Amino acid sequence: MFCCGYCTPEEEDSQDATSSKKNNSSLGKKMPMKLYYFDGRGTGEAIRQVFKLAGEDFEDVRFSMDEWPKHKADMPFGQIPVLEVDGMMIPQSAAIGRYVAKKFGLAGKTPTDQAWVDACVDQFKDHYTEINKWYYTALGFANHGDKESLYKSVYEPARDKFYDFLQKRLKKNGSGFLVGNSATWADLLIADHMHTILQLKPDTLQRFPEMLAFKKRVEELPQIKKWIATRPKTPF
Amino acid sequence: MFCCGYCTPEEEDSQDATSSKKNNSSLGKKMPMKLYYFDGRGTGEAIRQVFKLAGEDFEDVRFSMDEWPKHKADMPFGQIPVLEVDGMMIPQSAAIGRYVAKKFGLAGKTPTDQAWVDACVDQFKDHYTEINKWYYTALGFANHGDKESLYKSVYEPARDKFYDFLQKRLKKNGSGFLVENSATWADLLIADHMHTILQLKPDTLQRFPEMLAFKKRVEELPQIKKWIATRPKTPF
Repeated sequence: MFCCGYCTPEEEDSQDATSSKKNNSSLGKKMPMKLYYFDGRGTGEAIRQVFKLAGEDFEDVRFSMDEWPKHKADMPFGQIPVLEVDGMMIPQSAAIGRYVAKKFGLAGKTPTDQAWVDACVDQFKDHYTEINKWYYTALGFANHGDKESLYKSVYEPARDKFYDFLQKRLKKNGSGFLVGNSATWADLLIADHMHTILQLKPDTLQRFPEMLAFKKRVEELPQIKKWIATRPKTPF
Repeated sequence: MFCCGYCTPEEEDSQDATSSKKNNSSLGKKMPMKLYYFDGRGTGEAIRQVFKLAGEDFEDVRFSMDEWPKHKADMPFGQIPVLEVDGMMIPQSAAIGRYVAKKFGLAGKTPTDQAWVDACVDQFKDHYTEINKWYYTALGFANHGDKESLYKSVYEPARDKFYDFLQKRLKKNGSGFLVENSATWADLLIADHMHTILQLKPDTLQRFPEMLAFKKRVEELPQIKKWIATRPKTPF
């Protein structure tokens, strides 16, 4: 059932005082969280991968393009992904990603690490906005002009700026991941985006060998490797 | 002095185990945090207002347009705002806003409240991207065409969608603020943006009386009212 999500739910903390924090505890068993998104990777995939990396269950609800219009009005901002948690609906992919990652210790271990994870996610979002005209045209979601000219004028300069920053970040951090010593949701988000980019343009990141190694490293994480092998195959 | 911010600093938590968390404690006195931004409100103002609302000190470093190019290379992503915390540089306005707000209890009291604060901030960022062609042209930062046509074609539809969602959110939340019973950094961010919008187009939000009341409510918070009266007067 859908809840509009605007009323104040029982506080998570007071619930947790009397029951285990884990989803599957036999004391005060909680319903698994429910993710609503399209049947595709898009802005929902990194969230799914946080659950997978953490080894936690969730309901992976996927709307077809035909079904989605019927559910639009149930969503707080008329968009998906939305996460349903104990009857409360949370919109916005990064808000959801952070919420789930924090719950499972994948959002950065200290406050400053968490700030750096957030900064990498936001830098990626800025990049995603910057490349949009080419990206959406290349994926067939829009038509902003000639794909190849857009690739040269829109994607290439943005790519060079973004991956240059990230590669410097990786080198200085030294662990093979963007923040701290192990994978956070920022790593999952960016590696998944790189997957789509390389499907569109297989040679476009050749100038960034450390980023290609990074992508491989994330995809080789056992839980992620397993998920990639078994997840639904979708065009985006 | 500038630190490139890429080396791993002492963990905040271990520092805090032996000294008070407060900036001005006489046990292990910490340097106040330092915010680097332009001499203007822009994407830095909400961060300043979090410090002000919390009654906490910070160094408010403002670069002139002439000075800024000399400091660009010191910033992790070549942009400002950047927050310097015990020698570590944190980029990206929302990452900084959340870090500072969390430190001072203004980021939402429970994990789901924090997710909703994040969702409001992200919905605002999407809106900000959507209106950019008109907004930057109206502020004189860019020239995307005729200001009045852009206002009608770009701003008005985005405005109606965004403030409609926010007004529904306010009504259902019932406290006069977007999340919980008191102001969070999401309220500060959005109210400050509305300030700039109304400077550009004083009558543009007449359809949204609850939002106008919300803006007034935020600006009447004593610490914010005092800051608004005394802050540098700048064009943006």
